Amino acid sequence: MSIDPRIQTLFAQAEQVLDRDAFLRSVMRRIDRERRRSLLVWAALSIVMIAGLALLAPPVVTALEMATKLLPVSLVDIETKWLQLLLAPINTVAAAIAIGALAIFRFFRKILS
Amino acid sequence: MRYSADFLGKSPESVLVGLARTGDRDAYAEIVSRRQNWIRNLMRRCCRDPALADDLAQQAFMQGWQSLRQLEDPNRFAAWLKRMAINLWLQHKRRNDPLRDATPHSPGDATTEEQPAIAMDLDRALATLADDVRLCVVLGYHERMTHNEIVAFTGLPLGTVKSHIRRGTQKLRQELAAYLDINEEST
Repeated sequence: MSIDPRIQTLFAQAEQVLDRDAFLRSVMRRIDRERRRSLLVWAALSIVMIAGLALLAPPVVTALEMATKLLPVSLVDIETKWLQLLLAPINTVAAAIAIGALAIFRFFRKILS
Repeated sequence: MRYSADFLGKSPESVLVGLARTGDRDAYAEIVSRRQNWIRNLMRRCCRDPALADDLAQQAFMQGWQSLRQLEDPNRFAAWLKRMAINLWLQHKRRNDPLRDATPHSPGDATTEEQPAIAMDLDRALATLADDVRLCVVLGYHERMTHNEIVAFTGLPLGTVKSHIRRGTQKLRQELAAYLDINEEST
């Protein structure tokens, strides 16, 4: 063991009893300040989110409305009733988009693998 | 629910840590009150400058409050706080000019105490050591940690820790020869 007991004694002698109250006050003041700061940040974020939602709500609702109207539209008009029902799952804008996305995904997977 | 100062004053640290984890500010104030002297002295040995040492100690307590929920075992609070304080000092060293510690900061409002001559001379001697050496020496002498505990704490290899402490001890013997002679004469 390379610890020198004389130096260890010096370390013990150098130990000070420090003023507790001022330090404690300072720490708790910093903690309280930090608490207030994080509360303010949360409050500001909440306000921004609410304002953002209020501003974006009408365009988002309009876009959703348009999508719900557009997605089930048939791509090809089929006269025969049973054939129309049979092809309904793939004869829509939504199906075309899904098939297109799947094709792109497979294409990229193939060239990247 | 608020607990009385008397109850908090008599409670073991693990209970206080448990309460502080639920957001009890008074319980944490009691922990700070009990641990401040130890952590401030440790920081003084690490960074020489009392004002900087107090600032780092305050930061450690603040970080402790903020991340108390991450502490799995309340009985390990002291070791956990020590690690945080040492990491803050090392971060401070990395951020700043290595020569900055050679000249003390102007004293801030964090401390007004007069340092005894022995503490000043010891800190001056410690400041001549390289960071890793000083860390090992402080952990070995101030914290009375064994070599293996220092290895676990710092992540340095055992051989390095031993050589750091040996080299640091030699340097301290030279720098503090006057004190060592006085101590020897008085015993």
